[in-house]
Amino acid sequence: MQREQMLEELSKIVGKENVLSSETDLLLYGYDASLFKGKPDCIAFPGSTQEVSEIVRFCHREKIPVIARGSGTNLSGGTIPTRGGVILHFSRMNKILEIDIENQRAVVETGLFTLALKNQLARHGYVYQPDPASEKVSTFGGNFAENSGGPHCLKYGVTTNHILGAEIVLPDGEVIQVGGKALDNPGYDLTGILVGSEGTLGIATQLTLRIMPKSEAVKTMLAIYNSLEDAGRTVSAIIADGIVPATLEILDKLTIKAVEESVHAGFPLDAEAVLLIEIDGLKDGMERLAERIMEICRKNHARDVKSAKTEAERTQLWAGRKGAFGAISRLRPNYLVCDGTVPRTKLPEVLVRVMEVSKKYNLTIANVFHAGDGNLHPLILFDERDEEELRKVHLAGSEIMKLCADAGGTISGEHGIGTEKMKEMFFVFSPQDIAAMRKVKKAFDPEDIYNPGKIFPEVQA
Amino acid sequence: MNREQLKTLFYDEVAKCNHCGFCLAHCPVYTVAGREWATPRGKNVLVKAIIEGKIDWTPEIEATLFRCTGCRLCTQTCFPAVETNQGVLAGRECLVDKKQYPKVIDRVVEALETHFNISNEPNINRTLWMEKLEDIPDHRFQKEKASVIYFVGCVAAFYPMAHKIPQTFVQILNKAGVDFTILGGEEWCCGFPLIQAGMKDKMQKLIEHHQEKVKEVGAETVVFACPSCYHTWKEKYQTNAELLHSTQFIERLIGEGKITFQNVADRAITYHDPCDLGRNSKVFDAPRNILKKVPGLNLVELEGNRQLSICCGGGGDLEMIDPALSAAIAQRKIEEIQRTGTEEVVTSCQQCIRTISGYARKHKIKLKVRDITEVVLDAMG
Repeated sequence: MQREQMLEELSKIVGKENVLSSETDLLLYGYDASLFKGKPDCIAFPGSTQEVSEIVRFCHREKIPVIARGSGTNLSGGTIPTRGGVILHFSRMNKILEIDIENQRAVVETGLFTLALKNQLARHGYVYQPDPASEKVSTFGGNFAENSGGPHCLKYGVTTNHILGAEIVLPDGEVIQVGGKALDNPGYDLTGILVGSEGTLGIATQLTLRIMPKSEAVKTMLAIYNSLEDAGRTVSAIIADGIVPATLEILDKLTIKAVEESVHAGFPLDAEAVLLIEIDGLKDGMERLAERIMEICRKNHARDVKSAKTEAERTQLWAGRKGAFGAISRLRPNYLVCDGTVPRTKLPEVLVRVMEVSKKYNLTIANVFHAGDGNLHPLILFDERDEEELRKVHLAGSEIMKLCADAGGTISGEHGIGTEKMKEMFFVFSPQDIAAMRKVKKAFDPEDIYNPGKIFPEVQA
Repeated sequence: MNREQLKTLFYDEVAKCNHCGFCLAHCPVYTVAGREWATPRGKNVLVKAIIEGKIDWTPEIEATLFRCTGCRLCTQTCFPAVETNQGVLAGRECLVDKKQYPKVIDRVVEALETHFNISNEPNINRTLWMEKLEDIPDHRFQKEKASVIYFVGCVAAFYPMAHKIPQTFVQILNKAGVDFTILGGEEWCCGFPLIQAGMKDKMQKLIEHHQEKVKEVGAETVVFACPSCYHTWKEKYQTNAELLHSTQFIERLIGEGKITFQNVADRAITYHDPCDLGRNSKVFDAPRNILKKVPGLNLVELEGNRQLSICCGGGGDLEMIDPALSAAIAQRKIEEIQRTGTEEVVTSCQQCIRTISGYARKHKIKLKVRDITEVVLDAMG
């Protein structure tokens, strides 16, 4: 189809002012927070499910790829228009439709920022649990597509555990409702298939979310270590003791340095690692539980354990964790966030091997991770403008994923596969496994309209 | 400025942007525009693409770079603290050299070159705000020698909506017994609009003129009620005189016992930190300390306060270049003010007052918008 005709058709649906197609705009919608780049054919800003449906119907008829996009914060190239097509930017669909306290549900449009809902819920004493580091700007549509995690997912589960229903536009433009406010919907669990499908099966326009009353009490502790391995061992020891804290986060020395220069979270600069522990729940018994945890930390050679005395101190500690990725760019201009998961007990061993990769490629690697989940985030530092260095970064990133897979883990904890880790899928899946997934894709999207060129390796092994 | 100079000055800076997108949550322009071009991230990417020769100076780049309020909330909330606005201003300089900029800027430049002010009126009209004052001294606040110069600023001098600021501030200074003068027709624009327009080369004449005036008057202190004049002097001028914003000067006068408060205010207000005073000049406490001293006044903070204050929409020449966008930002600001439950916002910037009260008036929103000097004078009685 001619480009001009495409723009005209889209303008009829959303209005001329809601279609962008200049060279500049195509450049601006060719990136996300990953290292990948692409170029769409145009960008449309739908204002309703109806408009999304009409755009998709048109694209389906004309075989034009459709890529849904929220804030473009994803780290695996999930929103990169690798084969051109129409980007649907959901910035106009950002309303909270309902907060239903009695049923503990919220209904939102998918362009809404995660934190925007949380701020509203806080007025009711309620919370939406998943807390991706980018929550202040990540959209619910993005959380849905990537099945986002976050520190508190250790105790509460990832996004999929909190999405109960969705309004979905299918690749042919049909609108369906999956799940809902009630629990245990009969039939296939389509919500389960769609969450984390990275925009390849369906585009969510509305979500029904689980919300919970805020915990009565919360306690945040910081354990400081002279060795990264000791911090890792503490994590396993806490869980082995039958305790499930809300979070268990480790930051290594290099990350501490960057964080301190950026947000002054109060992490000691001479420590090899810090472990950020948060417990929440009923007030009764919390002090005792905290004491037990601190005791485990000390047994595992923590040189100091302290707890946040005020809400401000707690916020400051978390600012350090949430700002860790960005702060790293104080050390070198760019970073690649690896996202692998290993069985918790393998953490110390895998960390040692990650550092071997660092030496092998002569690349600086900082470590910050959701230790409780065994979810590693090695951050490889570099300067994107140095092509040779960039090449090594990709190799090192892939090698780290191999390490995780070999240790019995997997190649994504929460960031998805996207453009970045398609060939690494073979580290964890057999050709048969992948063929089974492809069948799902075929069932939903036989023409490969939605976010083509993602997740699956190009060539069958 | 050309591409090579842009590269030398800003390539390393914009290279630090990893497109994480955290700035999207804060940028006032993105908040209302909802388009990637509006984001600080997008602006960094465009400046980098220009430097690398991946894109030319398109009309959209011009539109984008001239739509930034210069509030620097993006840098404040950016972990590697990328100075996006510096790149934006340098980009504007490049565009100006290519004669590719909003033509409305030419009007301002012409006014500045002809009359040394932004309003295109004869500069002698700078003192018209005095007409409504009673008991004007014979010297009409213009003395040959004084220890303090009060630098009024173009907006307060020429726009009736802001006249109240100099009217109240001279009364405060008088009551406090300060030996001060204004420069009257010899006050010129500080040069701030030229920096924003990407024409900072043209401001040298203004700087030299004012530096000379400070020497002639023999002033030890120059006081500004305009945060942008204050910030511009701080950044670009070389003078031995101490430079203070009105809030800092008033706080000092209170400390010295020269200002005392007689009247009880007995109401709740909120305070808006102007970007150029708060985040960009780091003056947060002085206005709050003053408000705390006013008997009965109850300060309710905005959600975005101090370093996280959200721009009113009037910064960075935006009101001149894209009034509709500026107004949409002002609307958000007013909604934020209304969420405090107060009916009065106090600030310390004539431009913020213009933007906020301009929108409120146009849309018949009941909201009192006052400069801190007015609150002070009322309380002095």
